[in-house]
Amino acid sequence: MSMYQVKPVCPDIKIDLPTCMYKLPNIHTRQGNSCSPDHALQNGDVDPAVKALEARQDEIMRKLYELKAAVEGLAKTVTTPDADLDVTVSSSLSSQSSSCAIFKGTTNLDALLGKDLGALRDIVINANPAKPPLTLLVLHGLLCQRYRVLSTVHVHSSVSGVRPQLLSCLGPKHADSYARHMFQLGFTLIWKDVPKPQMKFSVRNMCPIEGEANVARFLFKLLAPYPSDPALATLVDSWVDTAFYQLADGSAKERAAVLRAVNSALGRGPWLSGPEFSLADVACYCCLLQNGSAASTAANVQRWIKSCENLGHFGPAQLLVK
Amino acid sequence: MTKEEVNGATEDEQQAQSKKALKKQQKEAEKAAKKAEKQAKLAAEQQSADEDDFAKDRYGLSAMVQSQQKLDRVLVRVQDLTPEKVDQLIWLRARVHTSRAKGKQCFLVLRQQQFNVQALVAVGDRASKQMVKFAANITKESIVDVEAMVRKVEQKIESCSQQDVELHIERIFVISQAEPRLPLQLEDAVRPDGEGEEEGRATVNQDTRLDNRVIDLRTTTSQAIFRLQSGVCQLFRDTLTNKGFVEIQTPKIISAASEGGANVFTVSYFKSSAYLAQSPQLYKQMCICADFDKVFCVGPVFRAEDSNTHRHLTEFVGLDIEMAFNYHYHEVIESITDTMVQIFKGLRDNFQTEIQTVNKQFPSEPFKFLEPTLRLEYTEALAMLREAGVEMGDEDDLSTPNEKLLGRLVKEKYDTDFYVLDKYPLAVRPFYTMPDPTNPKYSNSYDMFMRGEEILSGAQRIHDAQLLTERAQHHQIDLEKIKSYIDSFRYGAPPHGGGGIGLERVCMLYLGLHNVRQTSMFPRDPKRLTP
Repeated sequence: MSMYQVKPVCPDIKIDLPTCMYKLPNIHTRQGNSCSPDHALQNGDVDPAVKALEARQDEIMRKLYELKAAVEGLAKTVTTPDADLDVTVSSSLSSQSSSCAIFKGTTNLDALLGKDLGALRDIVINANPAKPPLTLLVLHGLLCQRYRVLSTVHVHSSVSGVRPQLLSCLGPKHADSYARHMFQLGFTLIWKDVPKPQMKFSVRNMCPIEGEANVARFLFKLLAPYPSDPALATLVDSWVDTAFYQLADGSAKERAAVLRAVNSALGRGPWLSGPEFSLADVACYCCLLQNGSAASTAANVQRWIKSCENLGHFGPAQLLVK
Repeated sequence: MTKEEVNGATEDEQQAQSKKALKKQQKEAEKAAKKAEKQAKLAAEQQSADEDDFAKDRYGLSAMVQSQQKLDRVLVRVQDLTPEKVDQLIWLRARVHTSRAKGKQCFLVLRQQQFNVQALVAVGDRASKQMVKFAANITKESIVDVEAMVRKVEQKIESCSQQDVELHIERIFVISQAEPRLPLQLEDAVRPDGEGEEEGRATVNQDTRLDNRVIDLRTTTSQAIFRLQSGVCQLFRDTLTNKGFVEIQTPKIISAASEGGANVFTVSYFKSSAYLAQSPQLYKQMCICADFDKVFCVGPVFRAEDSNTHRHLTEFVGLDIEMAFNYHYHEVIESITDTMVQIFKGLRDNFQTEIQTVNKQFPSEPFKFLEPTLRLEYTEALAMLREAGVEMGDEDDLSTPNEKLLGRLVKEKYDTDFYVLDKYPLAVRPFYTMPDPTNPKYSNSYDMFMRGEEILSGAQRIHDAQLLTERAQHHQIDLEKIKSYIDSFRYGAPPHGGGGIGLERVCMLYLGLHNVRQTSMFPRDPKRLTP
C-alpha cells in the first residue's frame, strides 16, 4: 500500500515509563516504520506473542476440563452411591501428588475450635444405639491420646434400654471427671433416636454436622491437619465416602467392587491414601468390621487389616462388634 | 261548625272508641280462650301422662340417700364399658355431662372422672314419652343412677372416651341434682388456648376457675394433672425408699427463721409469736447429725414473698432430700438427679394418657432428659451466655431471663429439658454453703433446671461449727439467732448435702404448663386465700 511518507512530527522523546506495570515491547519501535499491527492481521500473519497466549489459554482450559471430569467422577460416587468409584481418576490424582505426611502438623485447639472462653469445649455427638458409630469411637480413642478429654455417655429419653457395652464404650470414667474445667476437650456421646449420627459443637456459630463420615472428618482435623495437597486430601475424602456409602450401606456386589479397589490401592502402598495412616484407613476398617466382611478377602487387604490391628487404635470398635 | 256536628263527631269518636274497646275485648277473650284451651290441654296431657305413663316407676328423683337401705347392686365403672360387656344389663352411677333431646329420643353423655359414654333414652316399650322428657330436663352435672343395656355401635363415637359401646337406658334416677346455672361450663374450661378466641367461643379465665375450683377440677385436664401429681409424689417416695432413704416429718411452726429472717410468716403463739417454716432444712440437717444417713420429707413450705408471678406460691409442697456422703458432694447430686430421672421415666411409662389429655388443652413438647443427667459448671454456662451476647460478671447470679436463655441454649446443644448447673459463685449462695476447696470464689452448690426454670437449689452444707460461725459473721448474721443451728454441728457431724424441690413446679414444668396455679389444687398466693 503506497502512502505519502511524512516525517515524524516530534523527535524521539525519552519517556519515563512507570515500573509497576507489565512491560511490553514497544510495538511502534519493534514494527519499525513499515507496518502496524492491523497490517499483520490483514495478512493472516498471527503475532507470535498472541499465539503463545492462545496456547497458554488452551493448556489452562484443558487442565480445567480434566479437573472438571475428575470432580464429576467423584461427585457421581457421592451423590449416587451405586456408581463405582472411578479408580483411574483418583489414582491419576494421587500419582501427581507429592508425598505429604499426615499427623505431622501440630494442631492447635484454639485455632480449630475458636477462642477458649475459660470453659470446657464440649463436642456433643448424638448417635443411634442400633448403629453405633465405630469410626467416631476410634477417633475418640485417638483424641484421648492427644488431649485431656472428658468423656461422658448419656441416654436420651427417646430411647429406652441400651446395651451395657454402649454405656461403657468410651472407656472407664476419668478420675478427675468431677471437675469439668480441668479438661481440654469434652466428648459427650448421647444415645438417641436419630436417623444418622449428628454432631453439635457451638450452637450459635455452627450448624449441626450430620452423618458419620462428616463428623469423622471434623474429629480427624483435631488430630491432624488435612493434607495440604488438595489431591491427597480429595483422595482421603473419597475413600471415606466410599467406605460409608458402599462398604457399609452398599449391596454385596458394590462391597465386592470396593474391596477389589481397596486391594489394588493397597498394592501401591501400605495405607489406602499412600505412605501414611489416615482417616481413609480408619473409615474403611470400621466399615469392614461393621458388616463383618473382613474375612475371606484378598491378600493386600488381609495384610492391611493386620497392620490396622497392630496399631491398637481399634480396640473400642472391636469390643462393640463382638 | 254546628253543635250537632260536634255531637256527631263525639258520637263518632265514641263509636270509634267502643269499636276499639270491642276489638280489644274480643282479642282478650280469644287470648283467654286460648289460654284456657292450652291449660286444659296441658291438664289433659298431665292427666293422660299421669294416667297412661306405663314407665312411671322407671324414672324420677330418688330420695336423698340417707343410707336407708344397703343394696347389693353392682355399679359398673364407665371405663370398664368395653365391647366385652355388650348385651348386658348393668347399673351405673355417673354425672350427666350433656343432654340433647331430639323428638322421641334423648342422648345423654354420662361422665365419670375423665371417662365418658353415650347413653340413649328412646320412646319404646321400656321408656315412655314422659320419661324421655324427664331425662332431657335433668340439669348438667347432676348425678344419676342408670340401668341400661350395653349395645355395640356401628360407628365409633368420637366424642366419648368409650367409643365402641353406648347405653340404652331402661331406668334413670337422679341421685343429686345440680343447680341449673353453672358458674362455668366444662366444655369452655377444657377448650385449648387460642381456639376459643378464633371461633368466638368462650374460655374460662384463671380466677373464675380458681373461684369455682370444685367444678374446674372435674375437667379431664384437671383430673389428669392431679393424677400425674400424685404419681410424682408416689415415684419420689418409692425411688428414695428403694435407695435407703428414711421419710421424716418436720415441724412447721418454728421459733426462728431458718434462712436469714426475711420472707417468713409470723403467727401468734400464745403470748409470743412464732414463724411458719420456710424450709425443713434445719431439721433435715439435724436428722443427718442424728445418724439417719439419708432422709427425705414431703410437706408444706411457706414463703411470705409478695411476688405475683406464674411460678411463686406462698404455700407449696416441698419434696426435700438430705443425705450424708462419703467423699464428694457429687454423690448427692447423683442421688438427686437419679431420683428425678426415675420420676421422669415413671411418668413417661405410666402416665402417658394423662400427659396426652393435658396436651390436648395445653400443647407442649414432650419432656426430654438424659440419663445420667447432664452436669454443667457455672463457668461453662457463663461462656455459653457470653457467646450468645449476654454481658454479666463472673460472680453475678443468673437472672430469670438468663436462666431461660441458658435453658434454650442447653436444649439446643444437648436436647435435654433437665440439667444440673454446678459450682455457683460463693457470693450468691446462703452462708451455710461449703466453699470450693480450690477456688474461694466458687462453692460446692448446684441448681437443677427443668425447661429453663429452676426447680431445685442445693449445696454441700458446712458441717463444721467453726467454719459455719466464720461464714455467718461474713454474711453479718446475728450469731445469737442461729445459735441452735450452729450448735447442732458441735458433736460430730458427717459431711452432707441436699436440696428441695417444689412439687407444683415440677408438675407444671414437666407438663409444659405456664402457671403454677394450674398444678396446685387450692393455690395460695399473695392475692388468694380461698377456697
